[in-house]
Amino acid sequence: MPGFDTLPAAWMVWDGPAPAPKGAVLEQTRQLDKFLAEIERRAFRMAQVALRDPDDALDVVQDAMLKLARNYGKRPSAEWRPLFYRILENGIRDLQRRRSVRKRFMAWLPGPKEDPDAETQDLVESVADSAPAAPEQLMQEQALAKLESSLRELPARQREAFMLRNFEGLDVAETATAMGCSEGSVKTHYSRAVHTLREQLGEVW
Amino acid sequence: MSEESLAPSRLEERSRALFLESVDGLDMATRSRLTQARHAALAAHAARRPWILRTPVLTSALGMSAAAVLGVTLWFGGPPGSHGSMPADNQSTFEDLDLVASSDEGSGDAMEMLQDDLDFYAWADKAANPEPAA
Repeated sequence: MPGFDTLPAAWMVWDGPAPAPKGAVLEQTRQLDKFLAEIERRAFRMAQVALRDPDDALDVVQDAMLKLARNYGKRPSAEWRPLFYRILENGIRDLQRRRSVRKRFMAWLPGPKEDPDAETQDLVESVADSAPAAPEQLMQEQALAKLESSLRELPARQREAFMLRNFEGLDVAETATAMGCSEGSVKTHYSRAVHTLREQLGEVW
Repeated sequence: MSEESLAPSRLEERSRALFLESVDGLDMATRSRLTQARHAALAAHAARRPWILRTPVLTSALGMSAAAVLGVTLWFGGPPGSHGSMPADNQSTFEDLDLVASSDEGSGDAMEMLQDDLDFYAWADKAANPEPAA
């Protein structure tokens, strides 16, 4: 542990870096605000693609923001992006696991079965406004719907690799940190994701 | 290295463009909720406690240590009459020891004082119970 290994009365004396002055803390908070403001919408959309439910996506993003601010807010800002997405992906996986358990549990119960996807609205509906859609816009919406549908059919790790690399723009090392795997695995997942998507979307695109 | 890792393919470019368009098209209610979530996170960051207080084990250890120090302090430095001993008590204890030690010596002064006391008690007894006249 830095700072505690040089003096005999180590538990009484802290010889590490001095506490940050108030101005530095304010500056750090400002940087964190800027960082979160920059990524929050993309993070929300990525969570929404994975979870299909806007409320769940918002909960996961909010939880990731809180955890990053509480646990890693003092870390260098260059580390925030992969850390944030690692927290976010863990949250998405946890929620999907809970859903799976709940679905299995509900299958044992008598009576009408709950369909967790029944109340989820179409993602295109949540994105589009109420203005009448032009033919070009309609085609865009259809393409987006097809893309999201294809992304959901990918294995989770391939989807994570594709969205983090292509949508968020993380490099291979950052993606590996965010996914908690090696850089080689990231390249493999990404390559397979692109291959599968190309097969599925080839007819539309 | 494959070609697709060197330059983004049409699929990658198009999918990214579609995704970013959908991000820009998020409704105001969702944007507002995201802003609220961000503010909550920043408030949590501002109210962040020192690392030593965020570790449950360390917090428990600190609490137990503080309780132990308080207990020891009260035990050895408590008020007179308890198990504790104040400096004044120490002094009086030493004086008592001196008196006992001096009385054990059997010196002449001590014997004279004892004789005086006996005479005094005899006189007091006579004064309290005078002999009836014959």
